[in-house]
Amino acid sequence: MNEEFENRLRRAMRPVNPPEGFAERVLRGLPERAAPANVVPLNIVRKVAPVSAWRRFSAPAALAASLLIAVFAGQHVATRQAEREEQAGLAASRELMQALRVTSQKLDLAFEAVQHPAPQPAAEEENRS
Amino acid sequence: MDSAQADTPSLLARARRGDQAAFAALIRMHQASVFSIGYRMLNRRDAAEDLAQDVFLQLYRKLDDIESVEHMGFWLRRVASNLAIDWLRRASWTRGAPLEEGVEIAAPQPDEDPLMDRELLRLLGELAPAARAVMVLRYQEDRDVAEIAATLDMPVNTVKSHIKRSLTAMRGKMIGAQLVTAEELP
Repeated sequence: MNEEFENRLRRAMRPVNPPEGFAERVLRGLPERAAPANVVPLNIVRKVAPVSAWRRFSAPAALAASLLIAVFAGQHVATRQAEREEQAGLAASRELMQALRVTSQKLDLAFEAVQHPAPQPAAEEENRS
Repeated sequence: MDSAQADTPSLLARARRGDQAAFAALIRMHQASVFSIGYRMLNRRDAAEDLAQDVFLQLYRKLDDIESVEHMGFWLRRVASNLAIDWLRRASWTRGAPLEEGVEIAAPQPDEDPLMDRELLRLLGELAPAARAVMVLRYQEDRDVAEIAATLDMPVNTVKSHIKRSLTAMRGKMIGAQLVTAEELP
């Protein structure tokens, strides 16, 4: 019945061999196989000397120190520059005030001269007469 | 298990190291299965041989990934079946093609019927690629439903459905051709 039909299928579908020399033809088409990597047993791996903490951290520490020095130096130069500019500004201000004072004094003298002119000399009177 | 099969793990190890004689032994061990999957699926000996060569070349490249003898058998069936399905879907020339002439047929056993076998194989060739692969794995390779599902990345129920529908269709056509009686219907 059902099983019989399935058995008929199994018989009809028995595996068949490929033509003679199939394996050899496959082998001829094989690419070169990469040689397996040489694996070194762990027990003969040469021990690498441990790297000291100084050697391990010296480069980063030097880099960090350089950066800090650069930052502080830059800050110091900027402060000095600001101080110099402030001093120069104060000096200029002082000079300006001095100049204004001198000018003011001159103006006072000129005003005084206009308001109270000096009397005419006597010789000049005599020549008129 | 014969001596060659018992020695398969060492053959596998030697083949991985590049021993071509060991790889040839592995090919001979599995060539009938791989070639027959291609032959039942594609219905052409030349195409089946091309497919089998392709499968073994892929195996050679993937030897390092093969974990065991059982895994190798599963891997070969999986690659051969899926490659054959791809070829069938890409090439319309094989669809419904008659069984190739000149196929060597062994002398029939007393309980065999060469005409019936030929008709069954012709009907197998009329099935859709996925259904055909299911039938080949079930009745040629004698694999159970779960393994067929894993091989073809298919749900188990789909595999069962393919088997049932294919058997019904094939029996129906055999009855139509008066090669089996209606009593053989389920």
